[in-house]
Amino acid sequence: MLKIFQDFLKRLWPEFYRHRTNVHLTSFYTFTNYRYLWFISISVLAATALAPICIATLIYYQLIETSVDSDLNHRTKQLTVAARSAVTFFMEERLNALTFTVNENGYEQLTSNTRLAEILKNLKLGFGGVTDLSVLDADGNQVAYAGPFNLEGKNYKNQSWFEQSLKQTNYISEVFTGYRDVPHIIITVRSAKPDGSSFILRATLDTERLMQTLSSYKTGDYADIFLVNHEGTLQTPSIHYGSIFTPTNLIFPAGSDESEVMEIILDGKSIISGHSSISRDLTSTPFTLMVLKEKAGMMKFWQDMSFKFNWIMGASVIVILIVITFASTFMVNKLYRADKAKAETMMQMEQSQQLASIGQLAAGVAHEINNPLAVINQTAGYMKDLFSFKDQARNDDEIVEYIDSILDAVDRCGTITRQLLGFVRQFDVKIKKVNLQKLISQVLSFHKKEAEYRRIHVTVSIPESFPELETDSSKFQQVLVNLINNAFQAVEEGNCLDIMASQLSPDTIELVIHDTGCGIPEENLKKIHEPFFSTKKNGSGTGLGLSITYGLVKKLGGRISVQSTEGVGTSFTIHLPVKINEGRKA
Amino acid sequence: MKILLVDDEQKFVNMLAKRLALRGIEADVAYTGEEALKKAESAVYDVAVLDIKMPGISGTQLKRKLFTLHPSLNFIFVTGHGAVEKSEADGSEKDIYLSKPLDIDFLIETVQELTQTR
Repeated sequence: MLKIFQDFLKRLWPEFYRHRTNVHLTSFYTFTNYRYLWFISISVLAATALAPICIATLIYYQLIETSVDSDLNHRTKQLTVAARSAVTFFMEERLNALTFTVNENGYEQLTSNTRLAEILKNLKLGFGGVTDLSVLDADGNQVAYAGPFNLEGKNYKNQSWFEQSLKQTNYISEVFTGYRDVPHIIITVRSAKPDGSSFILRATLDTERLMQTLSSYKTGDYADIFLVNHEGTLQTPSIHYGSIFTPTNLIFPAGSDESEVMEIILDGKSIISGHSSISRDLTSTPFTLMVLKEKAGMMKFWQDMSFKFNWIMGASVIVILIVITFASTFMVNKLYRADKAKAETMMQMEQSQQLASIGQLAAGVAHEINNPLAVINQTAGYMKDLFSFKDQARNDDEIVEYIDSILDAVDRCGTITRQLLGFVRQFDVKIKKVNLQKLISQVLSFHKKEAEYRRIHVTVSIPESFPELETDSSKFQQVLVNLINNAFQAVEEGNCLDIMASQLSPDTIELVIHDTGCGIPEENLKKIHEPFFSTKKNGSGTGLGLSITYGLVKKLGGRISVQSTEGVGTSFTIHLPVKINEGRKA
Repeated sequence: MKILLVDDEQKFVNMLAKRLALRGIEADVAYTGEEALKKAESAVYDVAVLDIKMPGISGTQLKRKLFTLHPSLNFIFVTGHGAVEKSEADGSEKDIYLSKPLDIDFLIETVQELTQTR
């Protein structure tokens, strides 16, 4: 399970992130900054994929909001209009009934208490909501009364509603408590006595009936319908503003018949408010109808929907991002691997070209040096001969010694030039069957004493099924000698030298020579195959060993690579064909 | 035993001839192929030591010409080029190739071997 997870991470976390820059390879890469490439790829893909989604979402929300808003406004307005006509009708109905009563009965009948009680009974039956009736003369004296309260003989001359009643044919008062301490509304109708003076028929409406009418228009928990007067005092209880007679800031200019809808903020809530003044054709009432609707409540359905919508959007965005990241990682990884392979091949090509040109140059130089060397050799030899054959200075050991040192030096130069030429020279390939196990033990036998003396652990592991190689045995032996010599020089006392061989495919074998020696510094790794590169002091090495090995392995149709960590060890890996390619014979 | 030394490197062949003389081997010197052919007309040699690369007639061309004059003549090629392609040297198995700088004792040994096997 853990392994699967790690694999997953590996896949998601791109290979190039773990890439360590190799100074020698850098110049061969087509792209230098893979992290940037990856980042750009993800950003561009994500932007292209997500931008339309984001824009669509924004437009969707804007549309929803606008349509919900206008829908809400429209519904509030409709409700306001409906409630307004209901209240208007409520008032008008009662006022018309009162007007009819006055015109039908006349002053004489109305002032009879029994008749008035009868009328009140009929009004209650017909319309309801009428508490009492009374007849007042022009001086404010109550002439007749029918109702539950004993208010006979009261004078209302100084009450403001009475003054208003005298001025208008009919009048509707605000809600007030008056003498009886119960909220009520007064409706009056003015008429004339037979003698020409005015009298007033007054009816008292209880607000209960009005409130019932209003609350029948309440739909849902979020609506609030109530009346205010022109001073902003509540005329019926409100959910938002409180009980009756609470003063509010809801003051609207009187007289406008139109219903208006606006959005207000109340207690931090967004509220759609509609208002409309209640008016009649002839008489205006002091009431303004208020309809308040909480926006949040009305929006709940839409909010639920957008919550689900957001969930789906979020999930798809995450899926898209994951897919994009996977795709980008995959592509950039492919690119990176291809680029890496290309860079490595180019470096190898450059290296082999370098080697070839250096080799050619070296061959020319060696040839030119060999001729003068031959002259020095023969001249010095002749001088020595003169001394030794002709007795001229046989006893002068010093001169003989000098000549010997010249000859020694010539010999050394000769060795170098021969090695150098060996690097490029072409022999006929003598193909033989080679038993790797035997060949390795042969080479190791030269180092047997050294290994024992320096306590170096040498292990050779070759599988039993390992095939016999058909290759140029002398070149192959030379390769083994060079590499094993190198390894012995690199290791210190007590270290290990492992030689491992395996068959990679029916046609190729792999040979690894690994030592736990001093390792090769990274800056030298590239140079080790170059001729004359040596880290050994005082010219004890010619610097040709590995470059010759490199050339030999190539001639054997194989390739060689080095992995080394300074202070840890070095591995030389050789890949060779089981049968040397016939085409490479020459 | 008589040896013909051919090389355009004059000092080299002169010294070699003198040293061979000291060791009791008679050696004639030629600096060019033409000179060598002239000498071969008037004298008989057992072994010819030829430089492969010479101006004018090259070592291998010279060998073919000398061979027609004296089919019994033995050849030793000397070259500054470590070793020589067989094809370049006419591919005769019994020819011997030595590289410069040349060790005189080894040369004498080789010459003796060649003459003895005859």
